[in-house]
Amino acid sequence: MIKRFLSLEWKQFTRASYFQKGLAIKILMFFAVLYFGGMAIFMGGAMFFILKKIMPEADPIETVNNFMIYWVLANLAIRFFMQQLPVMNIKPLMIIPIKRNIVIHYLLGKTVISFFNFISLFIFLPFTVVLLVKGYPPVYVLFWFLSIMCINMALNFINFLINKNNTVFYAIASTLVVLIGLEYYDIFKISEPIGLVFNTLYTNPYLVVIPLLLMAGLYKINFNYVRKGFYLDDAVSKKAEKVNTTDLTWMNRFGSIAPFLKNDVKLISRNARPKQVVMMSFFFLFYGLFFFTSDVYYEMPSILAFASMFITGGFLMTFGQLVPSWDSEYYKLFMSQNISYKKYLESKWYLMVVAVAISFVLSTPYIYFGWEIFGMIAAGALFNIGLNTFITLLGGALNRVPIELNTKAKAFSNTNGFNLTQMLIGLPKFLLPMILFYVPYKLISFNAGLIVLALSGVLGIVFKNFFLNKIERIYQKGKYKTIAAFAEKK
Amino acid sequence: MISVKNLSKSYKGIRVLNIENLEIPKGQSFGLVGNNGAGKTTFFSLILDLIQPTTGQIKNKEILVNESEEWKTFTSSFIDESFLIGYLTAEEYFYFIGELRGQTKADVDTLISQFEDFFHGEILGQNKYLRDLSKGNQKKAGIVATFIGNPEVIILDEPFANLDPTTQIRLKQIIKELTQNKDVTVLISSHDLQHITEVCERIVVLEKGDVIKDISTSDATLKELEDYFTGSVLS
Repeated sequence: MIKRFLSLEWKQFTRASYFQKGLAIKILMFFAVLYFGGMAIFMGGAMFFILKKIMPEADPIETVNNFMIYWVLANLAIRFFMQQLPVMNIKPLMIIPIKRNIVIHYLLGKTVISFFNFISLFIFLPFTVVLLVKGYPPVYVLFWFLSIMCINMALNFINFLINKNNTVFYAIASTLVVLIGLEYYDIFKISEPIGLVFNTLYTNPYLVVIPLLLMAGLYKINFNYVRKGFYLDDAVSKKAEKVNTTDLTWMNRFGSIAPFLKNDVKLISRNARPKQVVMMSFFFLFYGLFFFTSDVYYEMPSILAFASMFITGGFLMTFGQLVPSWDSEYYKLFMSQNISYKKYLESKWYLMVVAVAISFVLSTPYIYFGWEIFGMIAAGALFNIGLNTFITLLGGALNRVPIELNTKAKAFSNTNGFNLTQMLIGLPKFLLPMILFYVPYKLISFNAGLIVLALSGVLGIVFKNFFLNKIERIYQKGKYKTIAAFAEKK
Repeated sequence: MISVKNLSKSYKGIRVLNIENLEIPKGQSFGLVGNNGAGKTTFFSLILDLIQPTTGQIKNKEILVNESEEWKTFTSSFIDESFLIGYLTAEEYFYFIGELRGQTKADVDTLISQFEDFFHGEILGQNKYLRDLSKGNQKKAGIVATFIGNPEVIILDEPFANLDPTTQIRLKQIIKELTQNKDVTVLISSHDLQHITEVCERIVVLEKGDVIKDISTSDATLKELEDYFTGSVLS
């Protein structure tokens, strides 16, 4: 039976639309997987030596154990945002004489072969090998490795529970926030007891039963959960969500583009995929922390220009670059309704402008790093509003990948906007602000750089109609191709 | 109202639609029948400028559909579920279409209140997104949305499919009333010969992209169509 399932799975994989895309994308994806996999293996292999070098007096395995909590957290966070729930088309299997339990075991077992599980394996396997080579006691090391892998799988199953159940998510998230806060302010360091736990696991190999039981227990919980919902009107059918109606009539002041704006707000608030993307764009706000806290970058102001653009440009980069795919599910409606392309594009433009403005307001704490930095963020925001919005919309004209609104993106199966033209169109988004800043900065002064960057944005706003008309024409030209591509079954 | 000249559509050299000449006068209720792959949806998509004709042209009220967008102001259509916005409730969807067509909320309310009977209490006030409605109920919402904003041309692709018997009967009445005053041109396609002969004054039969029959509906039409499709089974 399992063999049949596997053959079904294989067909689903090889016949999926993303696999039948161009050869170039396949190669790129292959390299991406290879890159991440290779990086993980390399990191795992080198970790021992790096730790030895940084902290010669500490035992690398202890250091690793002490930092394990961060691996657990990061692992869980990445899984929550990226990993998809196990789905198998069980509807057709329900009436066929197969034992339910087999299907469920298979469904859960399938999740073991997930990219997210392999990343941890790729990191810890080489590390373990290095430990063995270095003469650490094999029994200790191997059982430690086994424990880690069990925890990894336990996280795998925890993630499904979190994903299914909002209360579990909020409970875990708030615990995490509290723990991180306590850790940060040195009140209570959770990483110490956790480090102790992992060290104990290492020194007492028989304790491997604890992670093992943890994994088995979570598996059982998941199993019961799926088993309970194995009916047409439960887990298999998508649940009808509760409707959240918010009064958006205040947006009518935006005139003729108001209907679209209202629609976009609903689009974002009611669909899984846009929600995920907007959440991601929020993290861009913290990008500056990497750059402004490091002295290295102060000698390279053009990098700072790039960073400042990033801080307010999160929404542009994540949501904006997938215009018009967001409307792909009902694109035919838009194309045959009483809508002008320009109005549609203009509404998307306003949406991005509002997002940049909000990010700018939220970025005010950066004043802490000095007015120069903040001035740079302001200039970057103007550039985003005036020029980057148009570059993004222009890139969208070449974007013909349909999006399933209410499904989360999968890692590595999501090739939306992942093509060469998209990447080329994306380049000016990064390079332009750097050049606009760097040239006057080199020739005249820092402030001149700021002014030029800001002015370029103002220029874009002044010539808004001109740009929109040009972009509209490009969209018009690609109309039939876009409609056909969006109508394709995913 | 709609005039078609030398229209053809080919995919990779295979011709899927070929209509030399077709005039649909204003106010006509026009029916399109044909087996799967006959070109019905292709024809409707061409009228809506969703695909590009290989040759020929379509004029909607003297406007070339692939050159100007003006026809959109008086044409409305429901071809398939991709004409619905899944994350809106039915009411929100109606208001959205209303806003696009320059109707106030009150206008839309008045219009849809006439269709309460048709909705059978399953569309309005449900607090459900359109994507969570059943196929039949989605269709009801999509069909009624095409009546918003006083369109002069209404295009419905297989409106009877997926509807329950009661709703089918009501839809027939609605279409008859629409075309009574000869103001609104209605184009529908269907696989149900009885329904279409009942509501359409003219029926065109397509087969593999060609117009095979062009009938002005009479009492004999249903028999004629049935004979034709029986024949195509036998031959």
